[in-house]
Amino acid sequence: MFRLHDVSYAHGGNRAGVAALSHISLDVAQGEFRWLLGPSGAGKSSLLSILSLEVQASAGMVEILGVPVMQARRSSLARLRRRIGTVWQDFRLLPDLSVFDNVALPLRLQHRAEDEIAHEVHAIMKWVGLESRLDARPLQLSGGEQQRVAIARAVIYRPALLLADEPTNALDERQAGRLMAMFHRLAELGTTIVVATHNDAIVEKYPAPAIELAHGHMVRDYR
Amino acid sequence: MARRRYHDGLALHQALPGQFLPFLVAAMSFLAALALAGGIAAHGLSQRWTHGAGAVTTVQVPGPDDPAAGSGTRVAAVQDILAHAPGIVAAHRLSDAELRGLLAPWIEQTGDASLPLPAVIEVHTAAGQDPMPPLLPRLEAIAPGVLVEHDSVWSDRLAALAASLQACALLAVLIVMTVAVCVVMAATRAGLQTRRQAIALIHSLGAMDSYISGRFASRVGLLALVGGLGGSLAALPMLLAMSHLAAPFSAMTDAQATAPMDWRDPRAWADIVPHALLWMLLALPPAAGITGWVTTQLTVRAWLRRLP
Repeated sequence: MFRLHDVSYAHGGNRAGVAALSHISLDVAQGEFRWLLGPSGAGKSSLLSILSLEVQASAGMVEILGVPVMQARRSSLARLRRRIGTVWQDFRLLPDLSVFDNVALPLRLQHRAEDEIAHEVHAIMKWVGLESRLDARPLQLSGGEQQRVAIARAVIYRPALLLADEPTNALDERQAGRLMAMFHRLAELGTTIVVATHNDAIVEKYPAPAIELAHGHMVRDYR
Repeated sequence: MARRRYHDGLALHQALPGQFLPFLVAAMSFLAALALAGGIAAHGLSQRWTHGAGAVTTVQVPGPDDPAAGSGTRVAAVQDILAHAPGIVAAHRLSDAELRGLLAPWIEQTGDASLPLPAVIEVHTAAGQDPMPPLLPRLEAIAPGVLVEHDSVWSDRLAALAASLQACALLAVLIVMTVAVCVVMAATRAGLQTRRQAIALIHSLGAMDSYISGRFASRVGLLALVGGLGGSLAALPMLLAMSHLAAPFSAMTDAQATAPMDWRDPRAWADIVPHALLWMLLALPPAAGITGWVTTQLTVRAWLRRLP
């Protein structure tokens, strides 16, 4: 599903930049769930940024869903992004759009019919328990609610690869449990999922193979 | 399920407000319209000077009633050659009255009305043709001493002046277009900066460059079209007034030049405004729209290259 070989990444460019990842090699198959572990500054967010095509690796080989990223054309990368769902740590909701419009955004960019979009949005928002807040603006929501909206937006188009950066940070235990159950269900259906966290409790509660980083290097890749 | 308004997060009404850009494009279009009008007017006057007054050649035949080398009088033989020569539209022999009227100031000064005068023939040549030099040997053969005068010095100078004015007008249009392109680029970049977070987000969600640039270009193209329309409409009264003032200079006959104009008749206005000018005013708004659309497409696509 995705393969990294000897991948390095430096913030601000390869020469003068600060190394964030060094010589990372990974091979994750379709339908796998992986924790991405490590303390703050370990390089978890950088790795997720490479996998979400937000940044280009400085060196090495990156292949995602069969597409060699370093050689791909811009249009191919845009199509590939439509198969990758990302839950960012800072949610990245657009403040001037309603909750409905934020969640509908990926489907609209895929030019889906408005009736279908409305149906999908209502279904996913019901699942995250926010169907009554569709017309609210993100800034009118609590942190936990914003996180649930961001999760809804990431999964609404059933991505082949789902990346989540600390997705349970602002959730209570019950919501976190529901989210983990959904992630495992999506993995069973064939979605590859990588969840970055430094929450040891949730990792212990939901054991799964993990990739562990420290200071930009891979410490362990255990299954 | 209630239908909702389409939102893709670009919020172009905020990124590219509807007041600033149309106003600037209108100002640019207004200036372009004036410059183009100047160019068109210069072209029209050049045509008139080159092919109107400047296209008249005078043939003087001394001893007009003397017998020609062949048969008949000298002036009749010259007129016969001129009448059948290619490139000559009309050949009019001035009557005695016309000739004496022309020479009245000198004749009155000398007080001698019995001076032997040559026959004078006004020859109107076709546009862009100069048939007289090849005819001159034939005219000389049948009427020795015949004089052909084609004083094109002033018409040539005026034509050169008109060509310079046209070049200046073209340069002015190019400068105005360059400024308009720069204005559109600056406005687009400001809009991109305003919405950079939203653009980065929809880019990361899989929006194609063509989608984002197309949305911006449609908005700017529409605003530029509106601006171009405003500029054309603002220029129209001034151009009508200038056309009215220039009408006597561009009229081909004295009758046209001095004819009174019915201000309330739209056809009268249409008659005095050159057709090229009307077409230019009609073409200006779509040209502004297309310029805005293309400039924005290129600007947005260049800006998007900074995203992976």
